[in-house]
Amino acid sequence: MALKTELCDLLEIEKPIIQGGMAWVATGELAAAVSNAGGLGVIGAGSAPADVIEKEIDKVRKLTDKPFGLNIMLLSPFAEDIIDLAIAKEVPVITTGAGNPGKYVKRFQEIGSKVIPVVPSVALAKRMARLDVDAVIAEGTEAGGHVGELTTMALVPQVVDAVDIPVIAAGGVGDGRGLAAILALGASGVQIGTRFVCSEECTASLNFKKAIVGARDRDAVVTGRSTGHPVRNLKNKLTKEMDKLESQGVDPKKIEEIGSGKLRDAVIDGNVKEGSVMAGQISGMISEIKSVKEIIEEILLKAEETIKSNYNLLN
Amino acid sequence: MDNILDKVIDIVAEELAVDRDEVTEDSSFIEDLGADSLDVVELVMAFEEEFDVEIPDEDAENIRTVEDAVSYLEDIL
Repeated sequence: MALKTELCDLLEIEKPIIQGGMAWVATGELAAAVSNAGGLGVIGAGSAPADVIEKEIDKVRKLTDKPFGLNIMLLSPFAEDIIDLAIAKEVPVITTGAGNPGKYVKRFQEIGSKVIPVVPSVALAKRMARLDVDAVIAEGTEAGGHVGELTTMALVPQVVDAVDIPVIAAGGVGDGRGLAAILALGASGVQIGTRFVCSEECTASLNFKKAIVGARDRDAVVTGRSTGHPVRNLKNKLTKEMDKLESQGVDPKKIEEIGSGKLRDAVIDGNVKEGSVMAGQISGMISEIKSVKEIIEEILLKAEETIKSNYNLLN
Repeated sequence: MDNILDKVIDIVAEELAVDRDEVTEDSSFIEDLGADSLDVVELVMAFEEEFDVEIPDEDAENIRTVEDAVSYLEDIL
């Protein structure tokens, strides 16, 4: 009795887990490990130029023959180049974030790529469904990185009711109990980011992983609300500085400038004091760095146990 | 055509929770009326419903002010 959902059939994967396309963190190594373990690995294009991402795509294809995805961050200055690259490389699954991908959807559909936009609201989910996208990712504010306002608990069932395509829940899921919970809300799979950061295969600096392992429940805070692009990251010198500037009413453009490049500082250089340690609210749940395979197997096992014990409540 | 303008202003005031007299033809949804990009998506959906049209994203991204909305709707209606 293995846990399977319609998302597994749609994406030709064994387990209903897709990995978040985190900028700088979601490299070809991590994506391939997730795909090889039965989920859908996703490369995060972030704000990187196309030649860098092309190498990551080639890396994944070398390490696995399973399906994988590419996340396109629509605010990136290279977004158009990345879209051209994804089409030239025939990436099987495209996820998008930080905007409305509406005008690009058709180009992906024409070459048979599956398109799965991240949506932070019911209205955007409905517009995407109208374009016949394959699924949507309803991401709650518990997630790391760029976030919306609604919680996963509130957003997922409202999106499920509004569209008739599969809904993938994201934000706030770090173990099998979370997977069981989002299935109960009507989602047919989960996108997990932060838990996969703390994996052996993830190429982020050890400092970055350790910062997440060491984090407590209240450490993942939102900064940059005044910029219109709020980000959830772990409390440190940078987040305190940004809070201070925001409370002083400093020009949002200036605040945006201060945040720029800080994710790279943390992920690659390991500067977790002054860099932006983007991570979700489940950071406090993570206590160990493990292999991707172990992480996925543990999530599935716990989800199955949870569903069974909930079923046993009925008598 | 005044009718379209009136209706657009009604929808904008209602959707963005601002007073009707704060909304003029020149009002930009984001800069003047405090909307964010997700509010604008909802606004476009409300125009679609009221005028029984479908506004593709390529067109929607150019609708930033009351005037943009009115002239777009005048064109397609």
